[in-house]
Amino acid sequence: MADPSKPRPAFAPWDRRELPGAFGVEESARRVGNYKWIEMRLFEALGGWVATVPELDVKLRLGTHCYHHAWHAELWHKRLPELREMNPDRLTRPPNEALVAFVDAMTEPEAPELTIEKLVGVYRVLIPHTIAAYTYHLNNTSTITDAPTIRSLRFALQDELDDWRDGEMLLQSLIETEDEVDRAAAHQTRLEKLMLAAGGIAGPGSIGTTPVASEVTA
Amino acid sequence: MRKTLPVDDLARDERFVRVPFQARMSDPRQAGSGANRAAGRLTPDRPEAPDAARALMHGIFVGEIQALEGAGRTCWDFDTGAGRDQAPFELKLDMARQCWDEARHCEISVKLSDWMGTEIGEFSENTFLYEAACNPDPVLRLTGVNRALEGLAIDVFTTMREFGQVAGDPVLEYCEDWMLADEVTHVKMGSDWLRRLTATDPERQKQALEFQQVVDKLFSVGGFRGDDEESPVRLARRFRELAGFSVDEIDEIAEVSRQALEEAKAARARLAARTA
Repeated sequence: MADPSKPRPAFAPWDRRELPGAFGVEESARRVGNYKWIEMRLFEALGGWVATVPELDVKLRLGTHCYHHAWHAELWHKRLPELREMNPDRLTRPPNEALVAFVDAMTEPEAPELTIEKLVGVYRVLIPHTIAAYTYHLNNTSTITDAPTIRSLRFALQDELDDWRDGEMLLQSLIETEDEVDRAAAHQTRLEKLMLAAGGIAGPGSIGTTPVASEVTA
Repeated sequence: MRKTLPVDDLARDERFVRVPFQARMSDPRQAGSGANRAAGRLTPDRPEAPDAARALMHGIFVGEIQALEGAGRTCWDFDTGAGRDQAPFELKLDMARQCWDEARHCEISVKLSDWMGTEIGEFSENTFLYEAACNPDPVLRLTGVNRALEGLAIDVFTTMREFGQVAGDPVLEYCEDWMLADEVTHVKMGSDWLRRLTATDPERQKQALEFQQVVDKLFSVGGFRGDDEESPVRLARRFRELAGFSVDEIDEIAEVSRQALEEAKAARARLAARTA
């Protein structure tokens, strides 16, 4: 029988969580505000596109994914006050004007024959960049102090990865000619350049920065 | 992408056949119109019941597509905010949730249509639901769509669920019961947002309720939905109460339907007299 008076450490032997993490409260809040802003733009766009795509399977997936991103926006909205930001709207903003330009270009296609462009923008550019930024945050923030953000990141990442696969498979099923391959690639290139200018969904440093050689050896 | 997509630009594949509202309601194949309407409640023992149920199922399916599109457009069409031409963040979250629900309803409807022996395009589509979802005031959109049209969906799903029970079709009964649960949630969203956004603006509330009445009246055409035994679709009073309708509001819809039924009977009598 276990001895109830025997002292045990606060951390179990297999628990290797450590302090500190790469982000302070303000930096985590800034990123979370950026995440909320982009998830809002994404769910709004997916909702708007539902009526513009004639392909029934795509229409229904967009409706489903619309909710996933709205829920992510809600998670980030609720996290902001916990990060000392009592006015969540203040930090609900893009990291820079370049990301606004990216979103404007991504949401530009409307005509029913532009389903490929709509899906490319979301599933070959925005969502991969979102996954990258969320993964960087997950891997670098403190697993102790920023645990609530990590929990939300994991939920969001699960959706993002599932939706990415859904969208990519829809695209592969829609692209049937070499011209369509070119169309998809051209649109992806255009949007990737805009995303490059933005530095990612949380601006420069969205997925960290590459250290210089001296830092690596040190 | 533009704000507010005109109804003519709704994207469909070539299977769908779109007709004006009036033409669809006078299509004798539609449940609740022509001979079907005169025959009263939709029950399995009626000879035309299978075709009427399939037609109703197809109507539900296209209604679900438009409800999905309408909820999606409400996420996109309005900037986030508290202004009259804006939508609060939480309202948009509700509409996104509704998108997911309606997408599932479309999936269920396609499976059920297969099960019941009909297919996409066998019956026509009218776009009135989406038209109601184009109102420039988000409160009027939610009142017209969530309270009037989704309210009608509560009545239709309840009727179809009973039809499945009586017909011994557990698949139909099961699916309708699940969709009914979602519809009660959607109607309640409409009721809650109507009260919340018009709490200090009685004029806006009046406009919204008038818009709902117009929509309710259109879909009560010929007494299609009501308390009367002659109405093919029964007013689902208990579920409407769960969804935020007061007893007075439900009575009002019943009265509108009763009047519509009387008007239809009188019109049929006039037509019969002229033919004779």
